[in-house]
Amino acid sequence: MYWEKELEVLDRKNLEKLQVERLMATLRQAVNSQYYGKIPEINKAIKSGIHSIEQVRELPFTTKEDLRGDFPWGFLAVDKREVVRLHSSSGTTGNPTVVYHNRHDLDSWANLMARSLFAAGVRDTDVFQNMAGYGLFTGGLGFQYGVEKLGCLSIPAGAGNSLRQIKLMRDYGTTVAHAIPSYLGRLFDVFKEEGLDPRKDTKLHTLVIGAEPHTEEHRLRIQEMFGVKAYNSFGLSEMNGPGVAFECTEQNGLHIWEDAYVVEIIDPVTLQPVTDGEIGELVMTTLDRRAMPVIRYRTRDLTRFLPGECKCGRTHRRLDRIAGRSDDMFIMKGCNVFPMQIEGVLMKLPEVGDDYRIMLETIDDQDEMIVEVEVKKDWFKGDLSVLDRLQKHITHLIRDEVLVRPLIKLVEPGSIPKTEGKAVRVFDHRKK
Amino acid sequence: MTYQVSIFLENKLGHLEKVTAVLKEAQINIRSLHLNHTANGWGILNLVVSDPELAYQLLNKGGMSAALREIVVVKMADKPGGLDDLLKDIVNAGVNFTNAYGRVVNDGDSAFFVIDVQDIPEARAKLTNVGLEIIADHLVYGMPSL
Repeated sequence: MYWEKELEVLDRKNLEKLQVERLMATLRQAVNSQYYGKIPEINKAIKSGIHSIEQVRELPFTTKEDLRGDFPWGFLAVDKREVVRLHSSSGTTGNPTVVYHNRHDLDSWANLMARSLFAAGVRDTDVFQNMAGYGLFTGGLGFQYGVEKLGCLSIPAGAGNSLRQIKLMRDYGTTVAHAIPSYLGRLFDVFKEEGLDPRKDTKLHTLVIGAEPHTEEHRLRIQEMFGVKAYNSFGLSEMNGPGVAFECTEQNGLHIWEDAYVVEIIDPVTLQPVTDGEIGELVMTTLDRRAMPVIRYRTRDLTRFLPGECKCGRTHRRLDRIAGRSDDMFIMKGCNVFPMQIEGVLMKLPEVGDDYRIMLETIDDQDEMIVEVEVKKDWFKGDLSVLDRLQKHITHLIRDEVLVRPLIKLVEPGSIPKTEGKAVRVFDHRKK
Repeated sequence: MTYQVSIFLENKLGHLEKVTAVLKEAQINIRSLHLNHTANGWGILNLVVSDPELAYQLLNKGGMSAALREIVVVKMADKPGGLDDLLKDIVNAGVNFTNAYGRVVNDGDSAFFVIDVQDIPEARAKLTNVGLEIIADHLVYGMPSL
């Protein structure tokens, strides 16, 4: 039932006590780095000591810009010869974000990964196929080490090449696989083209999906296609990568491992903690990383704590699925608007395609939010009044969701330009 | 059963030409055209063509939103007052249409009137009852061009 029972069901009081101890050790380690060594609040906290975990709020935030600004060695808190691996973002815009690990860090990460998978019901009897890219991306090696630690037979398949993925699954009887959710739809199509049904022609019982925000509807579709349970995985390279938070077999929120991280949720504007259960920006502090501790990292990911205890008995709190990114937020007519809110409305409508674009324009001195929506080809029946109704319907739904009336523009399918990598959805052309 | 091809179009430079380029490539002849546009930057192009099924498939393959939509085509006299006479009959038949457009035929004394209604079988019955002549699809598609 548990990978490390003692830690996973530790009562809150003792869990927080452990956090305080580990936070102190982390601060002492952090000041060995060029960056944190210069921060007075951290030196002060080391001197006066930390007595309750709430005191983490007295420490300054670390942002992605800070991490990039002190590139490449500014956050390194151990001698370079002790470091055994780095992971890094692509850095197509400016310096990459790089994270260093020593042997202890890799062990600790592999253990969290194994704990996560165990919580989702994976056992050493399973055959685990990892369909994530191996390399600087943490989804490859991060899972690999965890799966080996857990004791499964691992198949480091890497990303893509669907025919080979299917062959591997069938040759070795893969029972669990990990992939990004958007890939699984493509993989399923290839199964169909080959005249195969993953429900009958594989031994899969579990899929692990992560690295891309996705809706509950999407998860249900994946479960239906493959005839499996699909578990949500959350991680970010600044906090190691996968294994940060994971769904247990209850499939109701992601346990975030609080012996390894201090977890806060703040209002991205006031920077104060939100009321428990409200959505805000996730802020995390590493508690068990030596080569590169990171303190109060603003992840920009928006989520909330799920209230109440989990039936599985684990005491580590649960995060709701990621609701968006705080740096995507824009203010329109005084309202805070998150693109994921608009996406949420659009993705529930069978009439519209997957791509959309939000244009913020100043028209006659008035700021307007124009949402461009692709009408699905197979839904179009040539009827003007139906399109008119659809337009009004979307207008109302978005107005109800974000409290700003949008101008909806229906556009031809495929006319919204596809972006390379992460999709850019918001274009702000307002007169400042 | 007679069909028009309806295409969802944004009101942007070159978008109509994208459609006609596909038809030209396939040597499909346009018999009648009706463009209908909204204040929201998009509209619907309705086409009566020589081969609607082929046009529909090619346009969709070309990435456009095209649909086949059933229509009723009736005959009217090609003379002053011809449309008014026809409309009186349509009113008498009790048929309310959402969209309509016409086309002269070069036999010199008649024209075709294309009607887009919700309930096609009902409209056909009512129009036939008041004595209007419904044109067979091969004649609609095969109308000689001027």
